[in-house]
Amino acid sequence: MWKTTLSVFVSVVLLATFSFVVWVVASHDYRWEALAPYWKNLLSGWGTTLLISVLALVLSVLVGVLLTAGQLSGHRLPAFLCRVYVEFIRGTPLLTQILIGYYLVADAVGWHSRFGVGLVVLSCFSGAYLSEIFRGGIESVPASQWLSARAIGLTGAQTYRFVVVPQAVRRVLPASAGQFANLIKDSSLLFVISVHEFTMQAREANANTYATFEAYLPLIVGYFLLTFPISLLSRRLERRYRYEH
Amino acid sequence: MSIEIEGLTKHYGSTRAIDGIDLAFGDAVKVLALIGPSGGGKSTLLRLLGGLETSDSGSVRIDGAAVPRDEEGQRAWRRRNGFLFQSFNLFPHLTALENIVLPLVEAHGWTRDAARARAREVVERFGMGDHLAKRPAELSGGQQQRIALARAMAHGPALLLLDEPTSALDPERKAEVLDLVEELCRAGQRTVLSTHEMGFARGSADAVVFLSAGKVVESGTAEEVFGAPKSETVKAFLGKVMRW
Repeated sequence: MWKTTLSVFVSVVLLATFSFVVWVVASHDYRWEALAPYWKNLLSGWGTTLLISVLALVLSVLVGVLLTAGQLSGHRLPAFLCRVYVEFIRGTPLLTQILIGYYLVADAVGWHSRFGVGLVVLSCFSGAYLSEIFRGGIESVPASQWLSARAIGLTGAQTYRFVVVPQAVRRVLPASAGQFANLIKDSSLLFVISVHEFTMQAREANANTYATFEAYLPLIVGYFLLTFPISLLSRRLERRYRYEH
Repeated sequence: MSIEIEGLTKHYGSTRAIDGIDLAFGDAVKVLALIGPSGGGKSTLLRLLGGLETSDSGSVRIDGAAVPRDEEGQRAWRRRNGFLFQSFNLFPHLTALENIVLPLVEAHGWTRDAARARAREVVERFGMGDHLAKRPAELSGGQQQRIALARAMAHGPALLLLDEPTSALDPERKAEVLDLVEELCRAGQRTVLSTHEMGFARGSADAVVFLSAGKVVESGTAEEVFGAPKSETVKAFLGKVMRW
C-alpha cells in the first residue's frame, strides 16, 4: 500500500515539476534571430567538445587503470603516492587545476597547446575518479573467486584477465558511465584557458548579443546528445555482462 | 600415495591454525579423511598440502616430493592437483563448460578443442552433460559442486583435495556429490578430504586423522578411529555427531 502511495506521489511530483519547467521555458519570448550569426561557432564548439570528450574518455580510462594498478600493486610507495594523487585531485577544484596546468606547469615546459593541456588536465582529473570506481569494482569481487583462481593454477595476471576484470567490468559500468557524463560536462571549464569548446562559444554569443537563453539553451541539446548515448551504451553493456539471476 | 608431515606449523596472527603436526602414511592409503571440530585446522592442513598456503615451519612431502615454498613452485604444484571448496568454486560469468576449459587452456596449455572435448567427456561421466551451456547461477548447489569437481578432475590430478565439499548442501544434494566422490575414490583417485560426513569418512577413507586446535589428536585406519577411539576428545566428538 505505502509503496503504491509513494510511487504515485513521486510520479505526480516529477510530472508536475517537469511540465512546469517545460512550460516556463517554452513560453519565454526568444529572439532566435539574434543568434543567427553564431550558429556556425556553436556547431564548431560542439565538435571541439565532442573531440576532447572522446579523447579525454580514452585517456582518463588509461589514467584510472594506472592509478588503480598503483593502489593495488601491493607495494607501499606507489600505493601511497596514487592515494595522495587521487585524494588531492578529487579534493581540489578543476578550474584551479586547469589554470595551474596551463599557465604554470605547461608554460614551464614550453607547451602552449590549449587543447592539448586541457585534454591532459581533464583526463588526469577524471582518471582520479575512475580509479576509485575501478578499485571498488575489483575489490568487490569476492575472495572465494581469487582463491578458486589460485587453486586452478592461474597466475596473478591470468586471474585478473579471466576472473576478476570480467566480473568487475559489470559492477563498474553504471558508475563509470556517470563519470564519463561528468567528464563531458566538465570540459566546459576549459573556457578559462580559452579552448573554443561548446560552452565557450555560447559565452561569446551571449556576450555579443545579450541573448542569454538563446545562447545557452543549445547547450542543453548539445550536451545531452553527447551524454545520453553513453548512458544507453552502458545499459546495453550491463545487460550483456549480466550473469546473475 | 605417501604423505610425510614433520613439525608442520601455520599461524594466522596469534591463532595457531596448525600447531606442530607430524604424520606419515604409506602407499596403501589412497583416501585420507580429515575430521574434527570446525576451526580445528582441517582446511588449513588441506591448503598446506595443496600449496595454497605456505607453512611457517616444518615440511610436507608427498610421494617423496616436498611441497614448494616459493610462489612459482607452488603454482606448478597446484596445477598438478585438483581442489574443491565448500562453495563458490565456479566463476559466475562463465558457463559450466568454460569453467572447465579455462584452467585446461590457460594453466595446462591444452588447445581449446582438446580442452572442450575433455570437458565434455568428464561432465558426461559425471552425469551433467545437459548443463554444459549453463552459468553457475542456473545450477543447483549440488550441480555446481559436480561441475567444480569435474573441473578439479579434468586434467587428471595427482591428488584431489576436497575441503568440506558438501557442507553447504542439503542432504539430497550431499548424496549426489558424495556418490560421485566415492566413485572417484573407488576408481583409484588419490584423495584427501576434510569432512563432517562421518559415514562417508568411515566407509570410504583408508586413513582418518582427527584434528583439533591445530593438533593431531588421533590418526589411524577408519576402523581404528571410529571403532575404538582412544582419546576422550575423539570419543566425545563422535558421541555427539553420531548421535543424530
